[in-house]
Amino acid sequence: MPDTSTGVVVIGGGSTGAGVLRDLTLRGIDAILVEKGDLASGTTGRSHGLLHSGGRYCVNDLAAAIECVEEGRILRRIARTTVEDTGGYFVSVSEEDEAWEPRFVEGCQKAGITCERIPVEEARRREPALSTHVRTVFWVPEDGHLDPFYLVVGNVESARRRGAQIRTYTEVIGFTRNGNRISGVLTRDAVTGEETSIGCQAVINATGAWSGFVARLLDVEVKVVPVKGVMVVLSRRLAHAAINRCHKPGDGDIVVPGLSVAILGTTAVKVPHPEVLPIEWNEVQLLIDEGAKMLDGVTTARAMRAYAGVRPLYDLGAEAEGREMSRNFAVIDHEERDGIAGFTSIVGGKVTTYRLMAERVTDLVARRLGVTTACTTAEVPLNDRDDEMDQLRHRPAQLGMPKPHGEELALQPLLCECELVRPQDVETWMKDPAVRTLEDIRRRTRSGMGPCQAAICSYRLAGRMVTDRGVDGRTATRAMADFLETRWRGVRHVFWGSQLRQAQVTAALHLELFNVDRQLQEYFPPPLGEGQGGGVPAEAVEAVGQP
Amino acid sequence: MKADIAVVGSGLTALVATRTLQKAGRNPVLIWPGLSSLYFLYATVDVLGYMNATTAQPVEEPVTGVRQLIADNPDHPYARAGVAALQDGSNLLLDWLREAGFNWQGTLARNLLLPTATGTPKPTCLVPTSMLAGDLQRVEPIVFCGFDGYQDFIPELAAANLARGWNGGHRTVTAVRVSLPGVKPDRLFTSIDLARSFEDATFRRDVADRLRRTVKDDGARLGMPAVLGLTHDNDVHAEFEKETGHPVFEIPTVPPSVLGLRLFDRLRRHLQETGVEMIWAAPAHDAEVANGRCLRIHLKSAGREQPVEARAYILALEDAVDGAWRAGAHTVRDPFFHYVLAQHATPAERTDESLFQPQPFATIGYPVSDRLQPIDKNGSPLAANVFVAGGGIAGYDPTGIKARGGMAIATGYRAAQEAMAA
Repeated sequence: MPDTSTGVVVIGGGSTGAGVLRDLTLRGIDAILVEKGDLASGTTGRSHGLLHSGGRYCVNDLAAAIECVEEGRILRRIARTTVEDTGGYFVSVSEEDEAWEPRFVEGCQKAGITCERIPVEEARRREPALSTHVRTVFWVPEDGHLDPFYLVVGNVESARRRGAQIRTYTEVIGFTRNGNRISGVLTRDAVTGEETSIGCQAVINATGAWSGFVARLLDVEVKVVPVKGVMVVLSRRLAHAAINRCHKPGDGDIVVPGLSVAILGTTAVKVPHPEVLPIEWNEVQLLIDEGAKMLDGVTTARAMRAYAGVRPLYDLGAEAEGREMSRNFAVIDHEERDGIAGFTSIVGGKVTTYRLMAERVTDLVARRLGVTTACTTAEVPLNDRDDEMDQLRHRPAQLGMPKPHGEELALQPLLCECELVRPQDVETWMKDPAVRTLEDIRRRTRSGMGPCQAAICSYRLAGRMVTDRGVDGRTATRAMADFLETRWRGVRHVFWGSQLRQAQVTAALHLELFNVDRQLQEYFPPPLGEGQGGGVPAEAVEAVGQP
Repeated sequence: MKADIAVVGSGLTALVATRTLQKAGRNPVLIWPGLSSLYFLYATVDVLGYMNATTAQPVEEPVTGVRQLIADNPDHPYARAGVAALQDGSNLLLDWLREAGFNWQGTLARNLLLPTATGTPKPTCLVPTSMLAGDLQRVEPIVFCGFDGYQDFIPELAAANLARGWNGGHRTVTAVRVSLPGVKPDRLFTSIDLARSFEDATFRRDVADRLRRTVKDDGARLGMPAVLGLTHDNDVHAEFEKETGHPVFEIPTVPPSVLGLRLFDRLRRHLQETGVEMIWAAPAHDAEVANGRCLRIHLKSAGREQPVEARAYILALEDAVDGAWRAGAHTVRDPFFHYVLAQHATPAERTDESLFQPQPFATIGYPVSDRLQPIDKNGSPLAANVFVAGGGIAGYDPTGIKARGGMAIATGYRAAQEAMAA
């Protein structure tokens, strides 16, 4: 007998898994989501946050572009609070770019993307930072910024309200079978090591770049090529709208303004394992150089950190390489393909089209389960309730901005001054057992994502670990140090100017004023960090082999 | 403008150098580049907390430790400055603090062990009297006290760590919280707001009452965030001890640090009141050198550039935060001579993989002569009348060994001596 039972187990807590979970519960199917780390801690949370109008794909990947158009419009309806309607520009800065323009315009027409050529002077009036290199500008109003953390949390919370369960830091380590039919999964808690079995009628593998590892547990192959992309975060937005280079998609050709920052994206390098994502200096340099061709101020703005994400490109068998590969997705019916009933994988795709991916795979699984309820995720909004949590991203109104009528609100205490996170924004999550680390708090609140990179809020959050959660001093201090170390891993790749000076302040505060380096020695004899890098077992790397 | 000796800097290094010149009867001008963040982080004078960046064993006698450090590392900035500079400079500082109305204590012969805001014992040397009762070599139980809605000192975190780490967990450490009279927890207030409130006797007595009622152990000492007064801290601390009926000690909080504000504001004002000329908020960005001497330095002051001519110059910046050097992606230069101090193929090379390990970038600076002159690759001074103190000196990394204040005093004092002899 399994420890617990459900209808469907969804593996993977990124946007796809969260979308699948919600889709299942909207169709009345009982489901549990398991995720080996935190929600949105893999590909989704490390995306640049560009809600694609489709303009980027309309020449080379028309099918993907059309999906972007439709899904972008749906997300603006159902996930209003996760989307910032920035609009976007496609800009030409060279002769080669100009040669691309007619193909781009034609692609937009074919895909149904609204696109308008505007005079460069008009564009510069709207975006004063546009570089003098810019020759031609197309306005694409349906580019936008999508908050990937909140998108996943919104989907998951919506599903939870309908009875779904979410288990983070829970890794699937095996399956139980009844003949050729899946009857459940065996999971292990990443922290406690506790093993649990979940009985179910079907399993959906929504683990993106990790799909191959899950499928391998059943001795079947799913060929997903992990392709690394590096991004650089600047401390200011620089532009109101997303800026895309009008050319064949390549490295360093987008600048995405999101909330208070701008993100320079991105590179494309095949990697042997989705967790081996080294940030190379030539990538960081390229992003800054290329970004500067489109926007002034990229080279002089404060770079806060660099980070790397991984695309889960599905190998459709073509000879395509990296960025040439389709951003399209596929549902793999393992019952039909491999004779394993009750197991389905959803692979490829991108955050913009997560909902459609979820719909397609859920259609198949629901049909197999005999459920005929149609998909409603394109109509039912994520925030179909009216309580405090849905207001999380409406902070400016609550932070003491003068109201046009009535009383002015007092300036409230802030836990993270850089990102305007209030103590009560964190309080909710301190109570959530799915939240294990301070990084998890960051993903949900943006605490620690500003210029000081958690120097100040890490102390306050460690304090709350003690006061709100009752953890011991050792655990709280370790959590604080781990949070700072994770931030540090991004900061050290943009280590010049203001961010170098910031690091000196962080070190003076934590090592000199607090003496935390000595506090840590109690648990980790020096040298700290030895043997902690990477964290990927050698056999895992080997198992993937060379793509 | 023309000056006798120009001192550039915003931290303790520059203050000690300026005071040394003033006491020797010279006419220094202090060129203050502006508020540095370190200003908010200073609390005590750490002279030498540990012999190296990784040992867990604190130094008991800092002056003995410094002698040993010099013997082991003849290139260390402490070796360049010399033990005498540390001793004479510390005496000068302690006298000055007294004269400026501070109440500080400590001796180079012994480190104190004081709990930090994370509840970590930290060796330090010269401290405000208001911190003294925190010495962990004393045995009375400690009660860490916090305030509702105040996030910059978390008594529960400090207690949780210290209870286990202090003397093998054999001492009593607890945490309490009280609400503050008239302070709404849903309104933003900072350490500076609180420090001002504590200067109000009614407010202070009310807080003392609340604490007296909350703390059950009559023999305990109270560990408080350092918010006991902004300008009248000596009185506030003494009164508060009487009013609570407990020994009270202050603990530095996350920035803005009231301890740092008190120290720097008052020392700078004292210099001005005693006749030292200051040029405010003017970073220096160029030095003119001819025939091996610096003729003048150029300041960026409000709206114009200002040259300053002096017989000698002391570059007494603390580190990258206040502009001791400037880092591009590959090249690090000093702000005066635009001399290349370091070059790196990648910015990440400047760092260790862990924030909590010694950082290569921290040691960037000018190679210096025995007289603290910045020198070129051949060992010749860039300018014979320029002297470096503080973070501009190569190999200057006070973080891991906890020596920021002591290294500032020793190099600031020594550079002043050399400048006077130039």
